[in-house]
Amino acid sequence: MTNGTWDPTFDAEKTRDARNVAPDLGALAGEGALQRVRAPERGGDQRQLESERPQRRPGEVVSAEAEGPSYYGLPVLKDPVWRWYIPAYFFTGGLSGACAVLGAAAQAAGGTGTEGLVRRCRVAAAAGAFASAGLLIADLGRPARFLNMLRVFRPTSPMNMGAWLLSEFGGEAAVAALPVVWRDAPRWLVRAGDLAGYGAGILGLPLVGYTGVLIANTAVPVWQGTRNTLPILFAFSGAVSAGALLQLWAPRWLHAQPGRARHTGPKMVLRFGRVAKAAELAVSFALDREAAARAPRVAWPLHRGASGAMLRAARGLIAASLVVDLLPRRGWRQRRALAVASGALAMAGTLLLRFGVVQAGRASARDPHATFEMQRRGRGGTEEAKNRGVARMPSLPGVEATGKESSVAGPGV
Amino acid sequence: MPNAPSDTVLSAGEALTRERAGRPGPAPRQMGFFTDTTLCIGCKACEVACKQWNQLPDDGFAFTGMSLDNTGHLGASTWRHVAFVEREEPLPGSGSPRDGAAAATLPFAELFPAGQPGPTSLLRDIAPSHIETPVPLGPTEKALGKFSWLMMSDVCKHCERAGCLEACPTGAILRTEFGSVYIQPDVCNGCGYCVAACPFGVVDRRMDDGRAWKCTLCYDRQKAGMIPACAKACPTASIQFGEVSELRARARSRVEQLHSRGVSQAYLYGADAASQPGTEGLHAFFLLCDQPEVYNLPPDPVVPTAKIVRSWWAMAAGVLSLAALAVGSAVTARRS
Repeated sequence: MTNGTWDPTFDAEKTRDARNVAPDLGALAGEGALQRVRAPERGGDQRQLESERPQRRPGEVVSAEAEGPSYYGLPVLKDPVWRWYIPAYFFTGGLSGACAVLGAAAQAAGGTGTEGLVRRCRVAAAAGAFASAGLLIADLGRPARFLNMLRVFRPTSPMNMGAWLLSEFGGEAAVAALPVVWRDAPRWLVRAGDLAGYGAGILGLPLVGYTGVLIANTAVPVWQGTRNTLPILFAFSGAVSAGALLQLWAPRWLHAQPGRARHTGPKMVLRFGRVAKAAELAVSFALDREAAARAPRVAWPLHRGASGAMLRAARGLIAASLVVDLLPRRGWRQRRALAVASGALAMAGTLLLRFGVVQAGRASARDPHATFEMQRRGRGGTEEAKNRGVARMPSLPGVEATGKESSVAGPGV
Repeated sequence: MPNAPSDTVLSAGEALTRERAGRPGPAPRQMGFFTDTTLCIGCKACEVACKQWNQLPDDGFAFTGMSLDNTGHLGASTWRHVAFVEREEPLPGSGSPRDGAAAATLPFAELFPAGQPGPTSLLRDIAPSHIETPVPLGPTEKALGKFSWLMMSDVCKHCERAGCLEACPTGAILRTEFGSVYIQPDVCNGCGYCVAACPFGVVDRRMDDGRAWKCTLCYDRQKAGMIPACAKACPTASIQFGEVSELRARARSRVEQLHSRGVSQAYLYGADAASQPGTEGLHAFFLLCDQPEVYNLPPDPVVPTAKIVRSWWAMAAGVLSLAALAVGSAVTARRS
């Protein structure tokens, strides 16, 4: 500014990066100077300033005394920044992993009549793995740096474990799917594909369930509070979605093998799906119980608000799909129609479940009383200390689980 | 970089020698903050100093309408946040026999760590001879009856076991030689996991930047042998910077001092592993006068990883039954 007049360059600087540092007066060299600002008028930190309306039922009165104190009702935690890509990834990752498991099981024990099923499983697993990677990268704040996930091996971070897992799984699934897509594949490639099919099946197992551990390893009360059932729920939800996909994507009957053997694949899918759906429903009730046992407030988002509605709808869709599966069927036309109906219902149900669980976490993070109540009831740090000391993540020899290897060097050294 | 020798925790020369030698000194010092909320006057100098030194962008100048706190919470570009708590309670310690009068005899230097400038760091020739704690409100307090303010300058706690650090999948978050938890902006890929993993809601991802940010405990200033900007700017020594073990001792004697003066509510939050096992103690701990929830602090925080081992076992049980189901359905479908 000169002679008291408004300096247009100063004004331009202000709107550009919200720092008000005139370039001729000061160099941008601070710790936060690299922070990129695209929309200064919106601000970076405004998303949680409004108090979240607690998910009260109409007419329900919760007194301030019963609730305990809070800081103007503001959230104590930051709600997860993940966008729709992440629940979508939970779905595709689970689907892809469970398809690989099913494919490997059919390959090992299915015998004749399941070759078509194995092929479809492999293609679905590979496609799902690539879709998963795409979704995960798209959600990153800096997508170009996605490979940084693989620069360390950090057992305390389920996300790091998942990144390793998904990349290995993706490789196996791709090799397994190659001879399916490329009909004239050489003999060695077919053999490699068979081997990779088993590999993908083994790696697919943790891939289906680890996402449950991933979100349980957060401070979000409803996720942390359901840490023992969430991974199992996600595992069976993945299985249901895989079964549903294979019901929808049925073999071409005219080209199927003649005789009874052609029914083996669909029959296997049907049985797998029925048990998985029943298990998912049972585990979803166990999840409610686990959350309520930690603290009643922790279980609120499972029953209330948008997340409650989504989770109820998901449960209804899975149950409806199970009922359709149990209906008597005669003739291939009827079979086909029922399979499509059941598959569509189960697909929608499992997809909704993932979005519902993520939405519940968001609501839970925004409710400070969920955190306070859970910790006041002894479900915080003292619980661990009382039992057996605060647990540490076990790790392979030579691997520092918490990444403290950097403690001596410090950043930039 | 400006550097006044009297302000140093580690002289610039010493720091340089260590750097040139290519390895750190004998034992890395664990540095941290002790935030004494009974001394906070809510001036927000720490917020301003932090923004200014670190050259952080503004927050959009929102108006919360709830108190004098228009910042609301810590965030990607807010690394210090002063909380204003309005309570229908008397000021802690007010009405005690030693309220006011006795406090006046306390030599001011007692409150300050060695090497840290006094409250008038910019005008060093002025040094008060005493401080009255807690500051009596006088007629205002009498008019308002049961009413008091509590103020607290919140900051990243630099936990001994940090949820963000243990969750970070890229290794972008590490522990520095000063014991602080540091996010390397050139490594962070913005996955957002640390945001959900922090039990204090400190870390945040700035949407238009894409990366996670939080307090660095002024790593650059410490490297140059200076104390963090917020502690430097604090006019009442509410924010005290120093070696963690030394700060703990000082904090304990401060609590005793307050208790002896009738401020019986005073206690330390997160000072060590015994009082906060979930984090094994904070490197930036607090002296509070009410329940932690009042200041928007979790009463019993825990690093999420402490509870995750059983979750992995649950997952193993789940997926193994899934494998059994897949093989079982294959075998039975084949036989029928």
